[in-house]
Amino acid sequence: MLRVSLKGVWAHKVRLLLTGLAIILGVGLISGVYVYTDTIGKAFDGIFTDVYAGIDIVVGTESDFSLGEGTYLDESEFELIQGVDGVEEVFPYLAGLGVTILDPEGEMLASGPGPPTFVSSISVPPDASSSDNPGEFTIVEGAYPAGEGQVALDRGTAELGGFEIGDPVTVISDLEGRMELILAGVAVFGEQDSLGGTKWVFFDLPTTQAFLQRPGKLSGGSVQVTPGTPVDDVIARIEALLPDHATVVSGQDAAEEEAADIQAALSFFTIFLSVFGWVALFVGSFLIYNTFRIVVSQRTKELALLRALGAAGRQVRGIVLLEAAIIGAIGAVLGIGFGVMIAFGLQQILPAVGIELPTASLDIKPRTILVGLAAGLGITLVAALVPARRASKVSVMAALREDAAGPQQAGILRRTLLGTAISGVGLAALFFGLYGDTGSGPSPVVYVGVGTAVIFLGIFVLSPLAARPVTNLIGMLLERLTGTSGKLARRNAMRSPRRTAATAAAVMISITLVALASTLTGSIRGTIDDVLANDVDAEVIISPAGQFGDPTQGFTSEVAERVKQLDRVEDLTRIHAGWGRLVSETEISDGETQVDVLETFITGAEPNLADFLPPDSFQGTLRPGPGELIISTADGFALGDTVVIEFEQTGRRSFTLVGIVGGRAWAGIIAIPAADWISAYGIDQHSQVYVKAADGVGADELKAAIEPVLTDYPNIAVQTFEDLQSEAEAQLNGLLNFILALLALAVVIGMLGVTNTMALSVFERTREIGLLRAVGLDRRATRWMVRSEASIVSVFGALMGIGLGIFFGWALIRALADLGFSSFVIPWLPSSATAAGILGSLVFWLVATGVLGIVFAVFPARRAAKLNVIEAIAHF
Amino acid sequence: MMNHAAARAESITKVYGWGDTRVKALDELTVSFDRGRFTAVMGPSGSGKSTLMHCMAGLDEVTGGTVYVGDEDLSAMSDKQLTKLRRERIGFIFQAFNLVPTLSARENITLPLDLAGRKADPAWLEEVVGTLDLSERLAHRPTELSGGQQQRVAAARAMVSRPDIIFADEPTGNLDSVASAELLEFLQAAVRDHGQTIVMVTHDPVSASYADRIVFLADGRVVDTMVDPTPDRVLDRIKKLER
Repeated sequence: MLRVSLKGVWAHKVRLLLTGLAIILGVGLISGVYVYTDTIGKAFDGIFTDVYAGIDIVVGTESDFSLGEGTYLDESEFELIQGVDGVEEVFPYLAGLGVTILDPEGEMLASGPGPPTFVSSISVPPDASSSDNPGEFTIVEGAYPAGEGQVALDRGTAELGGFEIGDPVTVISDLEGRMELILAGVAVFGEQDSLGGTKWVFFDLPTTQAFLQRPGKLSGGSVQVTPGTPVDDVIARIEALLPDHATVVSGQDAAEEEAADIQAALSFFTIFLSVFGWVALFVGSFLIYNTFRIVVSQRTKELALLRALGAAGRQVRGIVLLEAAIIGAIGAVLGIGFGVMIAFGLQQILPAVGIELPTASLDIKPRTILVGLAAGLGITLVAALVPARRASKVSVMAALREDAAGPQQAGILRRTLLGTAISGVGLAALFFGLYGDTGSGPSPVVYVGVGTAVIFLGIFVLSPLAARPVTNLIGMLLERLTGTSGKLARRNAMRSPRRTAATAAAVMISITLVALASTLTGSIRGTIDDVLANDVDAEVIISPAGQFGDPTQGFTSEVAERVKQLDRVEDLTRIHAGWGRLVSETEISDGETQVDVLETFITGAEPNLADFLPPDSFQGTLRPGPGELIISTADGFALGDTVVIEFEQTGRRSFTLVGIVGGRAWAGIIAIPAADWISAYGIDQHSQVYVKAADGVGADELKAAIEPVLTDYPNIAVQTFEDLQSEAEAQLNGLLNFILALLALAVVIGMLGVTNTMALSVFERTREIGLLRAVGLDRRATRWMVRSEASIVSVFGALMGIGLGIFFGWALIRALADLGFSSFVIPWLPSSATAAGILGSLVFWLVATGVLGIVFAVFPARRAAKLNVIEAIAHF
Repeated sequence: MMNHAAARAESITKVYGWGDTRVKALDELTVSFDRGRFTAVMGPSGSGKSTLMHCMAGLDEVTGGTVYVGDEDLSAMSDKQLTKLRRERIGFIFQAFNLVPTLSARENITLPLDLAGRKADPAWLEEVVGTLDLSERLAHRPTELSGGQQQRVAAARAMVSRPDIIFADEPTGNLDSVASAELLEFLQAAVRDHGQTIVMVTHDPVSASYADRIVFLADGRVVDTMVDPTPDRVLDRIKKLER
């Protein structure tokens, strides 16, 4: 049986090549992502092992907040460690965010989204001549910074800014404003000049505490144990002294934990990227299904002959499945090889575009190979299952019949019912994921993902019903352009609805995701435009440059004070933003209470906030007093309720709910008075200032008036709403382009399916093409006949995909309405004349798939045109 | 002489393959098909009759010699010119698989005209269709037609563009005797009533007897001709030639 299968594969090698290609590309992307992220993980492992090599014990803190700034230890608490039996030396440190480095020209150093900039204290080693520093960083050039005015940088950052020892360095603190410093030293992290592109500003400990406004606080430290003392004993003794939120682990464990944290962060990256590989494979599965279906129907006679010679139906099915397995396995192996090449390529390319990640030799784990093989083999086998079953049902009589591969329409009713039922199940899963309470089961993302895939299957089952009328319509438009070639193409596309639909389905899936991405970005853009234009009553906004990256980033109040003095300013309001945890206790029947915690933004509002964000409606008041709170959604709350909020630094505080506000601009806002916010967070910084212009002053004039105030603060920008719109537009376009680049692979595989089907069709219709050529179809027209059919099928797929993409986009936007996504926009036309604007338009994709259909049919079309007329007519 | 010939071949040679596998299908063959006549080409398998038809119809290139359709030399033509020649000046009826399955009978009939961007002369189309008894079947797809009807559609297609010459390659090969007779009578009538030139390749003496003249081939050469044949005379001649 293996021999029959092998010969089958060999006999159809060309047509199965494209099938294999789909698997190679899909498996390649998945395994490439694995290999690359494993390699980075391995490199980080090495770094942390290296860094913690000389450290016995690491003291740190933990926090319930997943997105907060972290918790601290008091210096007094930490000093106790010094007295612990077995402790030789203690090196405390404090680190945090909230600094911007300026380059020598006074501009932000490497502005734009990217890895963050940290502030950290750096410990002087006991023996200053030794480079064996028990801190994470080691000064390798110059000296350790001492006192205010002295700073050290990591070597990557120093090189980026061109700073030499002794050079002036200007930094801006979110809390303290602009500072002129002198570069005292340059540090490295383990043996790396840069840690994944992050930037580090080092001071001595007291300066760091002042800089971060955390006097007397520490993030943690490292401890050297007296030689001969068991480390675990010392750990236990230290733990007993410190508060609950302190963590005390050995250097080795710390290295493993930090590496594990990096792995966890990487795994998000891995999952995100490999999703696109799975999408590509899913698209590929339709291509495989279609190829096997066509190959089986072409080989009906051969299979019937096998049956006549005594092969059981089961054996025939086995032969087809074995063929699938051979192709799947070969594709998977080549795909893994391709993945290694992708990983290698990423390693070379990413540093060139400014993404510095540590490198190591490529790490190909057994898991990667297993997943790659399972994916390639599994997808191929599943996709070949239905065609194989059909092959096993070939009757012996088919061997004797003249025209065995005639058109056979499965029962329309059965197909309609089955397709509707499958789609219904998919829809149910989708909406349950979007709106339902998934409880302790799989996450909503799983329901949405699986639901989407099931809907695809349902539509796939239904699509042959639409294939005839829709391709007829598209074909009639095309016929006007290409005449008789177009007519023949249209008829050919209508000829086998199942084949046309299966080919179009692969195109459909990729275009669905493209249309979904376009619809979502279009709707987000629409919402932003809408909110800015209608809901915010101010002329300009002052905010940290690149604020979309980190909404809790802030700046000092000095800026707002100076802006307030300007003649052209009528009024302004400062908005504070930070993470907090909304704690709600619900009483369950038997007297027990269930505690739900929601980590969310807490806004610190000045009394005049509502003048800038006029609400659509409200109950109670818009001006919370001390200890009072207003909220935009009343889920489970009523006026007068006590709302408990947990703050990372200061713990739980209770507020009285005094206002419930409606309106888009307020979506998701939980606001407390600014004074309460400052005391709860322990710092006075705000992240946005809304400014109203005085009478008769335009937005641009106001902006021009404010700009001179900000010359000292290149990290803060004043923007009109028009600026904000174009900034949002640019960021959305960047995001869309990134996603489209990842989807490109799926689109290509979908189009390869078109190539494949056309190649098979040309082969099947050899005699017919010969006849057409004999009676006067010239080569050019023959080519256009094939290309036009490919174009019709592709556009059919694109139409279904765009329809589904719009639907999924609508469902998502509806589900996210609570977050303020008020506007649902179908981006039919380009939003701007830029490349990104055009790529976001659905009409572009409709036309593009039509053109891609023509491009991807070039080879089958050429083959059809080159057929020898006489041989073609005699072909059997 | 030239005025009487719809197509002619002058000393044409057709060689397939190279070296040991070299086969001479046509060997300095000269033949002329008169305008307004029904000519049958006969000969045993491998005698070169199909090759002759292919070469004269612009489907295949000759290795040596010259082929004329009317006054035009086919050997000087590009593929594009040959295609144009086939759709405008030549009609075809093949043994089987004559029709494009996705097109209706009417669309199949007008296909060469559509490809040339021309409109069918409605009166002529109606006459051809009427004569072939296809009026009721025009909207049908080939799969819905009987074998005889399919071949009559092919004949109508060949006729409707009023070509200089129609080449029929075993047109009755797949038909029963009644359907064969109907088709052959129609071909005869086309020649008689409309002055159509038809060349038919066949190995069946009965079919060949419908022709005005028979050209006998063997080993790539013309070995004999016969005017006003009957089945018996044809059979006799074949027996004689085989001896």
